[in-house]
Amino acid sequence: MKKLLATVLAVSMMLALVVSANADTFTMGIDPEYNPFSYMGDDGEYTGFDVRICKAACELLGWDFQIFGVNWDQKEMQLDNNECDCVWSGMTIKQSMIDKGYVISAPYYNSEQVLVVKADSGIASSADLAGKYVAVQLGTSGEALLNEDLADWTATFGQLNTCENFLICFTELEGNSVDAVFVDLPVAKAYVKDHEGLAIIDEDFGAEEYGILFRNGDDAKCAAIEDAVAQLVANGTYAAIAADYPDIVDNLVFLQAD
Amino acid sequence: MDKLLEINHCRKRFGSTEVLTDLTLSVEESQVLSIIGPSGSGKSTLLRCATLLETMDGGDLIYMGRYAARGTSEGSVYAPPAELKKIKSMFGLVFQNFNLFPHYSVLKNICEAPVLVQKRDKAEVEAEAMDLLKQMGLEDKYNAYPCQLSGGQQQRVSIARALAMNPGILFFDEPTSALDPELTGEILRVIRQLAEKKMTMVIVTHEMNFARDVSDYVVFMNGGVIVEQGDPRDVIDHPTQERTIQFLRRLQDQ
Amino acid sequence: MSLTTMIVKMSEGLGKTCSIFFLTLLFALPLGLIVALLRMSKNKIVSGITRVCISILRGTPLMLQLLAVTYGPFYLFGVSVSRNKLIPVVIAFSINYAAYFAEIYRGGIESMPVGQYEAAEVLGYSKFQCFIRIILPQVIKRILPSITNEVVTLVKDTSMAFTVSYQEMFTIGKQIANSQTSFVPFIVAGVFYFVFNAVVDFVMGRIEKKLNYYK
Repeated sequence: MKKLLATVLAVSMMLALVVSANADTFTMGIDPEYNPFSYMGDDGEYTGFDVRICKAACELLGWDFQIFGVNWDQKEMQLDNNECDCVWSGMTIKQSMIDKGYVISAPYYNSEQVLVVKADSGIASSADLAGKYVAVQLGTSGEALLNEDLADWTATFGQLNTCENFLICFTELEGNSVDAVFVDLPVAKAYVKDHEGLAIIDEDFGAEEYGILFRNGDDAKCAAIEDAVAQLVANGTYAAIAADYPDIVDNLVFLQAD
Repeated sequence: MDKLLEINHCRKRFGSTEVLTDLTLSVEESQVLSIIGPSGSGKSTLLRCATLLETMDGGDLIYMGRYAARGTSEGSVYAPPAELKKIKSMFGLVFQNFNLFPHYSVLKNICEAPVLVQKRDKAEVEAEAMDLLKQMGLEDKYNAYPCQLSGGQQQRVSIARALAMNPGILFFDEPTSALDPELTGEILRVIRQLAEKKMTMVIVTHEMNFARDVSDYVVFMNGGVIVEQGDPRDVIDHPTQERTIQFLRRLQDQ
Repeated sequence: MSLTTMIVKMSEGLGKTCSIFFLTLLFALPLGLIVALLRMSKNKIVSGITRVCISILRGTPLMLQLLAVTYGPFYLFGVSVSRNKLIPVVIAFSINYAAYFAEIYRGGIESMPVGQYEAAEVLGYSKFQCFIRIILPQVIKRILPSITNEVVTLVKDTSMAFTVSYQEMFTIGKQIANSQTSFVPFIVAGVFYFVFNAVVDFVMGRIEKKLNYYK
C-alpha cells in the first residue's frame, strides 16, 4: 500500500513538473491583499478585477492560468527571477520601470490617490495634516508620491508611517495611531464602504496610471495579453466583469466613452 | 558534661523504606564521635537529619538544650525559621565533595558567611580566616580559586570555611572518601589537631584506624539502628555483636 | 540616490533598531529569570500556567505576537493604538524573549549540583542569598553561550518591527529599495546587522572570558 502510494505520488509529481514546464502556462503576479484588484475571495480563491480579466484573457489565448503572490516591494526582482510572467495588480507605472527596460502594457486605469480620515476628526483637507500622523502602504504609488512629488507636503506631517499592507494602515487609523491614510481611491472606497465612521478626502494629489509589467524582451507576451483584453472589451466581457466593481469603473481607461 | 547534641527516637523513611528506626544518640562537649557502618546503614542520613538537610519523620533534635525539632504523635515538629537559623549557627558540616563555591576565592569562600550571615566585621573575619588557613597550611592559597587546588587542599579549605563560623559542633560526612588515598593523611591530620584543641566533632568515616585513634566514642550502625557503641577500643577491637564482627572482618579482607 | 545618502538614511533608523535591542535585553533578561522561577515553582498551578504561556510564546511567530500586542488591545477593547510604536514593540519583544531566556535559565539552574545549595544552607545563607550569591553567578557562566545565541537572533529579529510599521533601520531600507528599485539597501542592511552582531560577539566573548577565572 505504501509503495503504491509512493508510486502515485512520484507520478503525480512528475506530471506536475511537466505541466509547470509547459510553455503555455501564464503565471500572473499579484499583491494578494489589494482589494478590489486582487485579493482572496470569500471562498479562499484569489479573485478581483485584475485577476478575473487575466483569467478570461488566458482562456481566450488557451494559456494555463496560474497565480503567484508577489512580495510587493520586491515585485521586480521576483519577475526577473521568472517567479511570475507579469505583475498585474493595480500596479502604478513608474518612470524607473521604463528606464530599466521592462515591457509595460498600455495603461488600463487612471489611479487617484485620496486621504481616508475619521469622519469626526475635523480634518477636511490636505492642509489640515500639518503635524499629523499619516500612514501609507510600502511600495504603493501613494508612497512614491509622498516621498517624491509631494515630498514638501510630507515634510509637514508629524510622522509618516510606512505599513506592510493597507490593512495595517487602516487599523492604525481606526486605532488612532495615525490621523490619515494615503491610499488608492478604489481601495479607499472598498474599505470605507465596509467600515463606518470614515471619510474620504478627494483632492488632486497627482494622477497615476496602472499597467501590466512584463520582463524585458517579453513584447510578444505583452502584445498577446493586450490583444486578448481588447477582445474582451469588444465582446462585452470586460464591462460585465467591471460591473462587479463599481468603485473602479469610472477610472477604467477602456470603458471611457471617447 | 554538657550535652551539645541530643537526638531522641529519630525516625526517617524515604517512601516506604525506613532508613532510621528509633535512633537515639547524644554528643557531649569536646567529644569526638565516629559513626561507622556499611553503606546504606543510614549513617549519612543521620548526619543529614542532624544538620537539618533532611527532616525527620519522628523524634527530637536538640542543640544545647534548644529544640530544633520536637517529636510528637504526628511526627517531628520543627522550630520556626528564626529559631532554626540560630540553631544552624551552632554547627558546621564538612561535605564528602567539599562543595566549595567555585566562583569565590579561597578567602571569600571562608569569609562570606560570617560577614553575611553572622554580620561580623569583615576585617576581623578575614584576619581569623588567614589564621585558619595557616593552621591548614594554606596561607599562600588565600587568593586561589578552588579549581586551582588539589582535592586535599579543597577539603582543608572547606574545613576552614566551617570553622570560620565558630560552630559548637562540627560534622564530617566521609571527609576523605572523595580523595586519592595519598591525600587522606593531610585531612586526618587536620582533624586530629582539632581534636587536640577539644573541638566537638561527629565524623562519619570508613577509616577504622583513624576512628580508633582520634575518637572518644564509636557508634556502629546497621539497618537504620545503632548496633553497638562505646569506647573505640572496645567496639573496633573487641566487638560483641555478630554484625559488627562481620563488618570489621570484611574491611580487613579488603 | 547615492550610497552615502542611503547609508545616512538607514543609520537614522539604526537608532530605533538599537532602542529595540537594548530595551528588550533590559526587560527580557530579568523577566526571563522571574518566569524561570515561576516555571520551577513547587505550586503546580503556577508552574503549569507558566509552562503553557512559555509554550505559546515559543510556539507562535514573533510577528503575530507583535500584531497582537500592538493592535490586539484596540480590536478587543477599543483602546487606542500607541503612537509611539516603540512601546508595543518592546513589550512584544520582551515577552517573547523572556520566554526563551526563561528556558535557558531553567536549564542552567537545574544543572547546578545540589551540594551548592546544601553548603549554603548549612552556612546559614537564606534562600534568597543563596540564589543571588551562589547559584545565579554560576548559572550565568553556564548559560552565557546560549544567551549569546539568543542575543544574536534578537539583533536580526528587530527587523520584524516593520510588521507594525515601526520605522527602524530595515523598514527604511525596504522603503529605499522600493523607491530606488535597488537591492543595495538590503546589502547595506546586511552589513549593518553583521557589524552589529560582530560587536555583540566581541562583547559576549569578553564577558565569557572574564568569567573564565574559575571552572
